[in-house]
Amino acid sequence: MKNLFSIKTAVSVGYFVAGMVIMGGIWALIAKLTKNEIPTPLATWAVFKEVIQQPFQNDADQKGIMTKLLSSLARVGIGFGLGSLFAIPIGLMMGSSKIAMRIINPMVQILKPVSPLAWFPLGLAIFQDSPKASIFMIFICCIWPTLINAAFGASSIPQDHKNVSKAFGFSTWSYLSKILLPFSLPHIITGLRLSIGIAWMVIVAGEMLSGGIGLGNFVWEEGFNGGSVAKILVAIIIIGIVGSLLDVCFTWLQKKFSYAV
Amino acid sequence: MSNTSTISLSDEGVSVVDEHLLDQDTKPVSIQINNVTVSFKTPKGIYTAVKEIDLTVRKGEIVALIGHSGCGKSTLMSTISGMVKPTSGEVYANGKKVTSPGPDRGIVFQNYSLLPWLTVYRNIYVAVDAALKDKTAAEKTALVETNLKMVNLWEHKDKLPGQLSGGMKQRVAIARAFSINPKILLLDEPFGALDALTKSSMHIELLKLWVMDDRQKTIIMVTHDIEEAIFLSDRVVVMNNGPAATIKEIVDIPLSRPRNKKDIVHDPAYIQIHDKLLNLLIDKFSIADL
Repeated sequence: MKNLFSIKTAVSVGYFVAGMVIMGGIWALIAKLTKNEIPTPLATWAVFKEVIQQPFQNDADQKGIMTKLLSSLARVGIGFGLGSLFAIPIGLMMGSSKIAMRIINPMVQILKPVSPLAWFPLGLAIFQDSPKASIFMIFICCIWPTLINAAFGASSIPQDHKNVSKAFGFSTWSYLSKILLPFSLPHIITGLRLSIGIAWMVIVAGEMLSGGIGLGNFVWEEGFNGGSVAKILVAIIIIGIVGSLLDVCFTWLQKKFSYAV
Repeated sequence: MSNTSTISLSDEGVSVVDEHLLDQDTKPVSIQINNVTVSFKTPKGIYTAVKEIDLTVRKGEIVALIGHSGCGKSTLMSTISGMVKPTSGEVYANGKKVTSPGPDRGIVFQNYSLLPWLTVYRNIYVAVDAALKDKTAAEKTALVETNLKMVNLWEHKDKLPGQLSGGMKQRVAIARAFSINPKILLLDEPFGALDALTKSSMHIELLKLWVMDDRQKTIIMVTHDIEEAIFLSDRVVVMNNGPAATIKEIVDIPLSRPRNKKDIVHDPAYIQIHDKLLNLLIDKFSIADL
């Protein structure tokens, strides 16, 4: 942190700005080629400023952009949390026991490739409520990466660590808390990082289907149906920034819980 | 304990009288290996690692198991630790038949086997905590402290294993094994990964710990280093090459203790034992032998 203003930081910022300028340039070019069918960056910026007026507005007919964003994040958070609570213990069990692996793995292999959106109508049928169905869909799609990575972590515990446990007579609880969980944790976090990424992609699609308050609904209703391509672009930018911030958080966690051998 | 010894060299070899060795036969048996065979099932069929091994080790003895890689010396030691069950035959340690690992036998593993997410202190504490269930928390804490100070690592207690050098990691592993105060200490190629200089000082440290404990601990060590085996042990068990390895010969090391690393190599008895072990282990000594 002390080197925040170092040359290295300045160079990184320089590259970042260069990337953004190139992206803006391409965007401006596309705007020109489509004769402003796709609005220019500047026109979009104007709409963006308009959209972020009164971000926390929460009236019955008028919702601020932050209210929508937080509503989407809350659904992702609940679905992701429940999915992880379900996936981590089952994944660790699969990784620790060959029998559990052979029983559970076929189910995982069949259910994993199913598009998360296919679970939405099932959720709707079960809960008779579209926000709950969205959460259900997020829950399902957050299970697989975490489960698979937790299972991989648990199954790759080195024999050396197991020998320590045997030689000193670790109890089951000691084995779980001192060896299995710490060893698997970096793998679990990798799974969580993949899960949250998928969840964030899926929630937008889910909200387009389900309606209600959220970013997906904003893209569809106010952007497409409202005839404002600029609003669609604004939503894409917000979704992108929030998604990359989520990824940054989990990358940070990953670094924090990795250890040198 | 007297260190006086008389050495006479004759054509037959070395004959040495060491009072420390004379009362060896009267000491209680620490480890008894009876007709032990270990076989593993592999995809290619049954692989016999060691075959019909008999060995008796007395309390306070230091015995080295030496042989080429893959000769089954680690497997044989694992039958004493209880990590490997003999296919036939039995092993007794401290008068009890070995059926599983137990805290009466401390193990120092080949690659240290410290838990990388725990500090030096916690690595030892969790082992003590698991092995010595009837001790109070204060007693456990005291044990960890004593043993860490013994290997001069107390000031590094809050470091993670990844921050330590190889020699320091091995000292942690040795402190961990000593801290549960086992009657038998099993060392599986403990210094194999260390450079020659660090290795030498580790030998002295190990002997210091053994002497501080009044030479009460029985130590079995797997190694492929002849100098290390002679310097540390009372007897060297030379294994044949596997599969189905057996004991080729047991060589007594009647050199008086305390041994001096620098002087010992000039001792005629040392040189003769060294040559004997070389002859047992290696059959080509120059390109002329190829």
